[in-house]
Amino acid sequence: MSPENDNSSGGQSSGGSGGYRPAFGGGRSSSGGRGGRPGGGGPGGGPGGGRGGKRYFFRRRKVCKPCADKIDHIDYKDVKLLSQFVPERGKLLPRRMFGTCAEHQRKLTLAIKRARHIALLPFMGD
Amino acid sequence: MSNRVYELLFIADPNLGEEAVDTLTDQVQGFVEKDGGKIERVEKWGKKRLAYEVRGHKEGYYVLIVTESTGPLVKEVERRLKVTDGVIRYMTVRVDEELRKAERRKARRALADEKRRSRPGAATPGKLEGVRS
Repeated sequence: MSPENDNSSGGQSSGGSGGYRPAFGGGRSSSGGRGGRPGGGGPGGGPGGGRGGKRYFFRRRKVCKPCADKIDHIDYKDVKLLSQFVPERGKLLPRRMFGTCAEHQRKLTLAIKRARHIALLPFMGD
Repeated sequence: MSNRVYELLFIADPNLGEEAVDTLTDQVQGFVEKDGGKIERVEKWGKKRLAYEVRGHKEGYYVLIVTESTGPLVKEVERRLKVTDGVIRYMTVRVDEELRKAERRKARRALADEKRRSRPGAATPGKLEGVRS
């Protein structure tokens, strides 16, 4: 009984968007939180609904570094800044690796490519 | 239209020595000024390690020339750089639009900061109450 209570409370917290079907949500999580993912069903709107099964897998939210540091202009000559976004191998990495916002990722990519051309950054590391 | 700002960055052969690099820089400035371009500033970064080998060199003298000129002029200067001995790599980047945007962003940020500072007491307690309830 008590685990069901826990689940129902969890369902309420995550189901803020789908409050009209709390009974179903509770039943789902009591039947096994991991397997009971409805195929793209109702609770997709809430942030918790999509990954309700992997609740133990919290990840710290990444912050876009250029935004946080209030950098107005990403310069290709600023090797110190750019090298933070290039791993040892010298490859460009996708946005999800650094958590940069789309705008800054675009500008970083361009700046890194320019810096490579003028031999400030490597095309390929060792 | 014609007032575009370009950054012209080139790498000179490290075997030339300081003086030769200076004359080379003057020469490149001459390319720009001859056809009506204006030099805004010149930065000599000195000898730096290259990230990879360029024409068999592992080091190079970096020289940055910020200039106000036009598209056809840049094309001509680049053509001349290509045939100039001692220049192992060059790149021209148009920067006026980006700089203007950055300037605007800075101004907007300063404005927002001032607004926040002018009424700090009003915003914070309201937020706290919202969390508590």
